[in-house]
Amino acid sequence: MKKVLVICGTGVATSTMVINKLKEFFAEKQIDVQLYQSKVSDILSTGNDYDVIISTTVVPPSIKTKVVNAVPLLTGIGKEKVFNDILEALK
Amino acid sequence: MDFIQKIVDLGPTVVLPVIIFLFGLVLKMKPGRAFRAGLTVGIGFIGVNLIIGLLVDNLGPAAKDMVERLGIDLSIIDVGWPATSAIAFGSTVGALAIPIGLIVNFILLIVGLTKTLNIDLWNLWHIAFTGALVSIMTDSFAMGIVTASVHAIVLLVLADMSQKHVEKFYGYPNISFPHGTSTPYILFAWPLEKLFNMIPGFKNLKADPESIQKRLGILGESTVLGLILGLIIGILAGWNAKEVLNLGVSTAAVMLLLPRMVSILMEGLAPVSESASEFVKSKFPGREVFIGMDSALAVGHPAAIASSLIMVPIVLLLAIIVPGNKVLPFGDLATIPFIVSMMVPIFRGNVIRTVVASTIALGFGLLLATYISPLFTQAAKNVGFSFPEGTNSISSLVDGAVPTTAIFLFGAKLGYIGLMIIALIALATAYYINKRPNKTNES
Repeated sequence: MKKVLVICGTGVATSTMVINKLKEFFAEKQIDVQLYQSKVSDILSTGNDYDVIISTTVVPPSIKTKVVNAVPLLTGIGKEKVFNDILEALK
Repeated sequence: MDFIQKIVDLGPTVVLPVIIFLFGLVLKMKPGRAFRAGLTVGIGFIGVNLIIGLLVDNLGPAAKDMVERLGIDLSIIDVGWPATSAIAFGSTVGALAIPIGLIVNFILLIVGLTKTLNIDLWNLWHIAFTGALVSIMTDSFAMGIVTASVHAIVLLVLADMSQKHVEKFYGYPNISFPHGTSTPYILFAWPLEKLFNMIPGFKNLKADPESIQKRLGILGESTVLGLILGLIIGILAGWNAKEVLNLGVSTAAVMLLLPRMVSILMEGLAPVSESASEFVKSKFPGREVFIGMDSALAVGHPAAIASSLIMVPIVLLLAIIVPGNKVLPFGDLATIPFIVSMMVPIFRGNVIRTVVASTIALGFGLLLATYISPLFTQAAKNVGFSFPEGTNSISSLVDGAVPTTAIFLFGAKLGYIGLMIIALIALATAYYINKRPNKTNES
């Protein structure tokens, strides 16, 4: 199973909103993934252990995992592209 | 009033779910969804209460022994923003913070005094916080409401003023940060940037964020930081090895568990917040606005992380050497990125400048957090967080150390006139940046 890490600045606020949306999305598409939630400063050393990072904050360049910017899921503008990017990244 | 008092006396774990439920219905959520949302918020609240208990029970005695043994009076525990936000939202003023924030935002948008449409309703806890403290200080619910309203105005104006930084430096077009912690620090950073540019030698100092992150990255991991702090404080308290180790694991646990509990609270608030933001957006269709978001979007920037990592030991040192400080920095050592995140773009990503400015800001900030501690502790007691009588005081750096907290507390000491003056300054600034002829978009 693919490991998907959802992060934001606190691991509390925006990542919770994003993770709720992703749960709905993955359930609807019937894609099985393991979702993890964290904050950016906690993953500096572990960030490379995941298949995809979905982030609402800036991810430092030291992280080599594929990163999808999830800010559009919060603003509602350009949501579809984010979902497509996530599917693409999971392939 | 008697009826309202009876309701309030039920405590936030009951009142908050009911308010969230009703608010959800107003926003035309399905009753079942609104009910679950409300209940989840209540559960999150109980979770926060449990973990604060864990923190105060463990770190409290250690801090006390450390004070007695070393004479460093750091008896006020910094419980951190997760607890602070719960206390703020749970206060009587806080329960109304979201409607107040929405109404203030609507009015300012309609009259054209802001371009920011704030959809980050979660962060209205900042206005709830000042509102709660002022209402306790003045023993007036109305003063608290007015404080929260004026604070909402101030944050929208500051968000407009700093929007170009969010766009140019962080690369988020049409997004602004009406964030109660991060954004006020622009008022601090602007004059300092001018000053720094005048200092020969200092002008050219730079530091590389990547290498700082590599060396100090461990301080950014909250559980490790929690463990280290627990161990150090245990040792300074003169405890034996078993007690020190247990304290270390407990403080590490708090660092992980407290945000988790708040994230449950957030899970409940999220659907309501979404319905509200849809509602808000539907009222201003096709209008060019800045979407107001959480500054959490910016805190991952390497310069913000690097500055924050350096600030961790500096804040601990400040706590010891700043005369008059009694706050033991703990929970909000993990929140420093929010304090620096809007200073970073003004200093154009310069880590050294950000660190120097943050050191000055937090030096004063610690004194402010010390000063507000009695009000803060009372606010926590009011929402039913339990403390052993007379043993512990609490406070937090976010927002206890934030300049706006001082502005509103001291403003409110002058009565309504003080708050009105703050509102007028904010509105005049808003008028200047939004309605200035010819140069509308350049500010």
